[in-house]
Amino acid sequence: MKFKAFLTDNGVNLLEKRILQALDKMGKTCHLYLTKDHAIFLHNLLNGDGIQSIAQFRKEALFEDYRISSQNDDRIAFTIDLSLLHRALRSIVTIYTEFGGSHSCPTLNRLQIKLVKKLPPHSQQPMPFLTFETKGYKSAVIQDVPISKPLSRSDVLELQAALDMAQDLPQTLVQVPDMNQLQNFVDRMKHVGDVLNVSISKSGDLHLQISTTLVTLGAEFRKLKVIGEQAAVPAGDDNLTAQTRSRRAIERGDAMSVQVSVKHFFKSLQCHLAKPDCAFYGIGEQGSCLTLVFQFFIPGTRQTDKSISLHCRLPVLDPGAD
Amino acid sequence: MSSSGVEPESPDLVCELDNVQGMVDALTAVRWKRYQDAVLELSEHGIVLIVEDTGCLQAKVYLQRELFVRYEYSANGRPRFGVSLGLFVDCLNTFCIPGHSSTIEFQYPGPDMQLLLKSTDSLSACTYAEIRTRIPDTISWDYNFEPVGTTPISFTVKSAALKEAIDDLDWPGSSIQITLNPTPPSVTLRGEGHGDLQIDFMYYANTDLLVAFNCDQIVSHRYKYKFLRATTSNIPSSVIKDNRGSKLTIGRGGMLKVQHLVSVVRTPGNHPHVDSSSYQQPSRIAYIEFFVKPEVEEDNAYDS
Repeated sequence: MKFKAFLTDNGVNLLEKRILQALDKMGKTCHLYLTKDHAIFLHNLLNGDGIQSIAQFRKEALFEDYRISSQNDDRIAFTIDLSLLHRALRSIVTIYTEFGGSHSCPTLNRLQIKLVKKLPPHSQQPMPFLTFETKGYKSAVIQDVPISKPLSRSDVLELQAALDMAQDLPQTLVQVPDMNQLQNFVDRMKHVGDVLNVSISKSGDLHLQISTTLVTLGAEFRKLKVIGEQAAVPAGDDNLTAQTRSRRAIERGDAMSVQVSVKHFFKSLQCHLAKPDCAFYGIGEQGSCLTLVFQFFIPGTRQTDKSISLHCRLPVLDPGAD
Repeated sequence: MSSSGVEPESPDLVCELDNVQGMVDALTAVRWKRYQDAVLELSEHGIVLIVEDTGCLQAKVYLQRELFVRYEYSANGRPRFGVSLGLFVDCLNTFCIPGHSSTIEFQYPGPDMQLLLKSTDSLSACTYAEIRTRIPDTISWDYNFEPVGTTPISFTVKSAALKEAIDDLDWPGSSIQITLNPTPPSVTLRGEGHGDLQIDFMYYANTDLLVAFNCDQIVSHRYKYKFLRATTSNIPSSVIKDNRGSKLTIGRGGMLKVQHLVSVVRTPGNHPHVDSSSYQQPSRIAYIEFFVKPEVEEDNAYDS
């Protein structure tokens, strides 16, 4: 089982400044799943009642000279503490950039990442680490991030199966209007109740509502950009209240509605720390989950960067259980 | 089947406010514990919110009609209803997103006697709330504040200084004695408990701290620290920033009245002249009053 690669400048930037801080909010530890072509950070895929988040990178988006081999079809997975990973990366980046990054002397100064087994101090047992190494003119800096034992063949298969399952996209996705504003709003909404009702219509309405015995509090965002199945706004729809509009759209089959935990919803919005260029909400088939899909543009364009994908799936609450 | 039918009668009140943050500030000032019931009283002059604690402390927030950009009142009598203060403030808070001006419409009653709130400034995004109201169970105790003599015994102190003094008195805790002495004009706050702490405001030494002083005899009363603390614990930061003063008046029987002023002026972004404009609009101030009953003295405890 071997893994060795060099992080590119872009890759370092992407991980250190954007992705890791967003993922850290999703949960302290995650699975890092490396395949021949991809590096994937996975939250809650195997043990799942929390938010599932999947951040997938084509190897070129992060690495060069990417080498991986294992007896399990060249796939390796393990769990890693994100805050440790982030800290190690941050510290090594400061040293790395002191030498001017890879521009100054590409052969000398590169940021290598590899999987190693080492004997930790005061221990007889070798332990697995993900190691970052950068070499300057006179010194070399190494950061070891402890990781779990690599997942067994059957666990990797299970992870892959869960990943395949989680790739289904909702039929209708609406674009989140303003992530910051929405996050502020939900942050305040959290105080009022625990269960959030989310309705999404094919005509581009996103309706959020918390309803308790004492209060109903909601927000409706209309005429949002729709990806996937669409429907025209029915005549006379503009004069209705948000609640009536949602109810009618659901009755017509033009909208779906699910209940999720407000805390999960708020957490999912924290993914905007990854500075995505846009975000979309959609409801999975038969209301199985609420999905939040982020898009990243190729820098300087408005074209989606297909080599990076980030999405979250929020578990739905059983309305009968409340 | 449509529930959104035309209502035969117009609601008691429909009004619109363009500075929700100001209202949140004003209401937060009287929120001294987590669960508090408030009574709202509507009239042609505005809205009054009343909260009480164990018959010893009452607070009122006056939101005059001048604070609202629209105020349509059509009730007979003065409708009163109860809401949970915390819930009301939390709901209002969702309407004020930083960096985003918000105009909010209030309506009472809704089809099910709710208090209805909705944002009105955007067609593509709308926030709304329906707050369940209840019939207020007790007629709120009338504090019947009466001045002593012809000139009320009062002093005005910078709100920040008052808050700081009361916060400091947390250390001795329990009960605080407030004494006004005309010669030399001074106010003394004294706490005895785990230790003694005395804070003096001298009128001549500190005219910018103790702004006004009216007292012709020595007056001294004791108040429970927790009630005194409630009067300043959630004073909005805007009050401190605007360098406002709070007025304290002692009435018959030692009843203490504490008054704060909270600005409810719409702030157009980070405009540098906000402060001056807030002074030009004296009508856009929410008045907050606390009434604190004094502690009953040992020797006349039999009277009650």
